[in-house]
Amino acid sequence: MASKKANFKKQLVAYSFLAPNFIGFAIFTLVPIVFAVVLAFLRWDGANPIEWAGLSNFTELFDDDQFKAALKNTIVYTAGTVPFTLLASLFLAVILNQGIKARNFFRTVSFFPYIASLVAVAAVWNMIFNPSKGPVNMLLYSLGFENVPGWAADKDWAMITIILFSVWKYMGYYMIIYLAGLQGINPELYEAANLDGTNTWQRFRYVTVPQLSATTFFILVMLTIQCFKVYDIVYMVTQAGPGTATLVLVYDIYNKAFVSWNLGSASAVAMVLFALVLAVTLIQFRAEKRIR
Amino acid sequence: MKKALTIILVLCLVFSSVFAQGTKEEAATTAVGTTTLKWALWDIASTTYYEPLIKAYEAKNPNVKIEMLDLGSADFMTMLRTQLSGGDSSIDVVTIKDIPGYNNLVKGNLLMNLNDKIKSENVDLSLYGGTTDQISVDSKLYGIPFRSDFWVVFYNKDVFDKAGVAYPDNDMTFAEYDALARKMTSGTGAGKVYGAHYHTWRSAVQLFGILDGKNTIVDGTYNFLKPYYEMILSQQKDGIVQNYATLRTSSTHYSGVFYNNSVAMMNMGSWFIATLINQIDQGKTEVKNWGLVKYPHAEGVPAGTTLGTITSLGVSNASKKKDAAFDFVKFVTGPEGAQIIAKTGTIPSIKDAEVVKIIASKPGFPADQNSKDALQVAKTYLEMPLHERAGEIEVVLNQVHDEIMTNNISVDAGLAKLNEQVQKILAK
Amino acid sequence: MQVHSNKQKVTMALLYTLLVLCSLAMLVPFIWMLSSSLKLDKDVFTFPIEWIPSNPRWINYAEIWTTIPLGQFLKNTVKLTLIVTFLQLLTSSFAAYAFAKLQFKGRDFLFLGYIATIAMPWQVYMVPQFMMIRSFGLNNTHLAIICLQAFSAFGVFLMKQFYMSVPDELCEAARIDGMSEYRIWAQIMLPLSKPALSTLTIFTFVNTWNDFLGPLLYLTRMELKTIQIGLRMFISQYSSEYGLIMAASVVALIPVVIVFLTLQKFFVQGVATAGLKG
Repeated sequence: MASKKANFKKQLVAYSFLAPNFIGFAIFTLVPIVFAVVLAFLRWDGANPIEWAGLSNFTELFDDDQFKAALKNTIVYTAGTVPFTLLASLFLAVILNQGIKARNFFRTVSFFPYIASLVAVAAVWNMIFNPSKGPVNMLLYSLGFENVPGWAADKDWAMITIILFSVWKYMGYYMIIYLAGLQGINPELYEAANLDGTNTWQRFRYVTVPQLSATTFFILVMLTIQCFKVYDIVYMVTQAGPGTATLVLVYDIYNKAFVSWNLGSASAVAMVLFALVLAVTLIQFRAEKRIR
Repeated sequence: MKKALTIILVLCLVFSSVFAQGTKEEAATTAVGTTTLKWALWDIASTTYYEPLIKAYEAKNPNVKIEMLDLGSADFMTMLRTQLSGGDSSIDVVTIKDIPGYNNLVKGNLLMNLNDKIKSENVDLSLYGGTTDQISVDSKLYGIPFRSDFWVVFYNKDVFDKAGVAYPDNDMTFAEYDALARKMTSGTGAGKVYGAHYHTWRSAVQLFGILDGKNTIVDGTYNFLKPYYEMILSQQKDGIVQNYATLRTSSTHYSGVFYNNSVAMMNMGSWFIATLINQIDQGKTEVKNWGLVKYPHAEGVPAGTTLGTITSLGVSNASKKKDAAFDFVKFVTGPEGAQIIAKTGTIPSIKDAEVVKIIASKPGFPADQNSKDALQVAKTYLEMPLHERAGEIEVVLNQVHDEIMTNNISVDAGLAKLNEQVQKILAK
Repeated sequence: MQVHSNKQKVTMALLYTLLVLCSLAMLVPFIWMLSSSLKLDKDVFTFPIEWIPSNPRWINYAEIWTTIPLGQFLKNTVKLTLIVTFLQLLTSSFAAYAFAKLQFKGRDFLFLGYIATIAMPWQVYMVPQFMMIRSFGLNNTHLAIICLQAFSAFGVFLMKQFYMSVPDELCEAARIDGMSEYRIWAQIMLPLSKPALSTLTIFTFVNTWNDFLGPLLYLTRMELKTIQIGLRMFISQYSSEYGLIMAASVVALIPVVIVFLTLQKFFVQGVATAGLKG
C-alpha cells in the first residue's frame, strides 16, 4: 500500500547516500580483497598459472615457526598497546579540554609524533634507548642498576620497546579524536551534574565516560585493528628482531608474499589475522550495543 | 544558493584536473621507425654510468631510444616482480639486483631464456670469469652480468701513520687480520680508533666461513661458522670493533664511520670505492688518505679469494621488442659497455687488464701498487648462490645472525637453530 | 569566582609539569629532525647527540631542490592530497548519514563489512589490486592513487560515530517539517559535524600526504612521483643521505602543520554554538 511504496522510496534514498562511497570502495578495494580471500585456498606466485590448494595453506601454518612466533607476538603487542594508548589519550584529552593556559600549544605538540616522519621518530627513539650510549640507560646506570635492559637489541625487551614506542606515537592521534568527542558533549549535562553536587571524578565517570562511548568504541576498534596490522613501526625500530622476538603477522605476510612469492600462503596468514580482528571487533560491537 | 555554487565549482575543478591526467603511459609518441626500450633500474640520481651507456648506445643506434624506469633501490626486486606480474609488456630490459630475486623471476617465467640469442649473436661467455655458470638454471641463462663487485679491505693510511704501524698487505690470513685489528685499536671515548668495523649486514661476518670453498651458505649445516663467529664476538667484547647492537639500533652507516677517521680497517664491497672517492672530492669527509688490500683468507686458500655480487641484465619474457632489447643488453654487458662503466669508477663484470687500468687511474684512486693489485681477484664466491629457496633461507640466516651478534643466544645454540630451521626449509 | 585552594594549586602545578614533560617528549624527534637537517650525513648519527650543529649546513636546504625534482613532487603531492581529501569528506559523510540516521535493509551487516575490510593489511591484496588497476589502464596515473584512497571505510566509520552523537530528535523534527533527507544532511548534519569533519580532514590529509607504498607501486614515471618517494631517493643502494632526508622531511612537514593549525579552532566549537535548541 502507500506505506510500502514510501518504505521502498526510503530505502532508495538510503542507498543513494551510500552509493558514491560504496561504489568506489567496492570496485577498488572490495574486489581485490575478495580475490585475496580466495587466494588463501590457491597456490599462486603472481606469474605462473593459478593452482588449487584447498586447505593446505592453512594446515602448513601449524608447522610454521615463523607464523607461530608472529601470531604470539602480535597478540602480546596488541594486548599491551591498546589499553595503555586508550587510557593515555583519554587522560590527555580530558586535561587539555580544561581551561589550561596555552592548551592550543599543547594540543599541537601532541600531534607531532603522528605527523613527523617515521624515519626521524624511530631514529630518535633508538638513540635515546641505545643500550650502551643512550641517555635512558646512562640514567639507569647512574641510579645503580647493574643489568640495564638492552631495549631494541634484547630479545626480552624488544617487544616492550615497541609497545612503548607505539603508545607514545599513537596517543596524540587518538587524543585528537577524544577531543572532538568531548566537544560533542552537551555542557548542560555538566551543569546538571554540578547542581547535584558531584565532584570531578564522579562527573568524569557518570557524564564524560558514557557520553564518550561511541568515540571509545571507534578508538578501540581502530586501535585494535591498527595494532594487529602493525608493520612500519616494527620495521623501523627493531626490524622484527632480535631473531623473531618482534616478528609480527604482517611482517610474516610480507616475507611470504614478497620474498618467497607464495601469495596463497600469505593470504592464509592474512585470513587468520582477519579472523582474530573480526572476533575482537564483534565482541566490542556487541558490548557497545548493550551499553547503548 | 551561494554554497551550492561553490560546491559545483569545486567539483568542476576536481574533475577537470583528474581527467586531464587521463593519458596512459603507452602514449609515448614515438616517431615512425623508432623503437623505445624501457629499462627498469634503480637510483638514477646517484648512479653515474646509466647516462653514458645510454648515450653511447643511442649514438650507435639512432633508431632506438632508451627510457629509464626508476623503481627505487630498497625494494627493487619486489617492485619489479609486481610490475611484471600478470604478463605486463611495458618493461623490456630488466636489471637484476640479487640472486633470490633472480630466482623468483626465473621461477615465474618472467625472464627470457637467452641461450639462443647468445649462440646466434656470438656472445663470448668466457669473458665473465665463470659467473655465468653460477647463474645458470638447468643450463639455461636468463641474465648476463654487467657489473661485478667484490669484497676488499679498506684501510685508513693516516690512522696507520699516526700509530706508526705498517699498512696491511695483500696476503693476510684471518688470524693476521685479527691481530692487526687488535694492534690498531686505541683510545677511548669520542677519540677512539677501532681496529676494524663490521657493518650490520650478515654478509660482512657470516660469509667469512665460505671462503675456503668447503661449504656453502645454503647447505643446511652451519657448524663451520663457529670459529668465525667466535673471533668476531671476541673482538666485539674486547672493544676492537663497535658493538653490533649499538650499530643496528642507531642505523649507523659504515661510510660515516670510515669518513670520521674512527676505524683503521674495514671490510666492505668494491662499490664503496666510487662513493669514497666522490665524497673525499667533495670535502665531506675527514679521511683523506686510504688504501685497498685483498680480503683476508683462510689458511691454505690463495690470497685474493673473496666474496662477490653480480648485477645482471635480462629481457622480460613479455616484452614485445625482445630482439632490440637483447641488442642493448649485449652492448652494456660487452667489452664496450665495460669500458664505459669502468670510467665511472664502477667495476664491470668483464675485468680484463684494460678495465683494471682504467679504474686504477681514476683520479682519487690510491696510488700505491698494493691497492692496484687488490683489484685482481683469484676466485669469487657469490654472496648468495642460486638456490630454489634462497629467499626463505636468507630470512632465517638474517634472524639468527641478529640474535648471535646481539648476544641474545650463544653461538652453539644459534648454529643449532640455523641447522634445524634451514633443514626444515630444504625438506619442503 | 572560585577560590584556588592550596590543593588545587598543587594539582595544577603537577598537571602543568606533566604536560611540559609530555610536550618535550613529543617534540624531541622534531628537534632532532631540524638539527640533523643541518648536518653532514656522517654526523647525523654520532654520539653524543650534537643538538646544535657546530657547522650548520644551510646548503642542505638548497640541495634538496636540485638533487631530486622536489618542487614537482611537492606539486603532485598537493594535488593528490587535496582531491582525495575532498572526495573522502564528501562521500564518507554522505554514506555515514545513511548508516547513522536511516533505516534500510542490511545496514548493520554492510557496516560490519566496511569495518572488516579495514582489518585486511594492504600487503595482502596489493598484487591483485595492482593487476586490476593496471587492466583499467590506470597504471602510472594519479587517478589510480585517487581511486585507491578516496573511498575508504575509515572515513565512513569515523563520521558515523560522530553522527550517532547527534540526537535523533533533530532529524525527526526536520522530517516532520517536510525536509528531504538530502537537505537534512546538508543543512543540519554537516554544520553540526565540523569537529568530525576537521578531524577526518586532518587524518586523510596526513595519510595521503605521507602515503608511500601506493605511489611507489603505481607512479613509476618521474614526473608523477610524490614527496615520500622523493625522500626515499636519498637512500640509494650504498649510502643514505640523512642530512638531505631530514631537510626534505622538514620542508614536507610545513603544509601539514599549517593544515592542522588552521583546523584546530574547529575542535573548540561546541554543540552550543551550532544552534542546538530543543
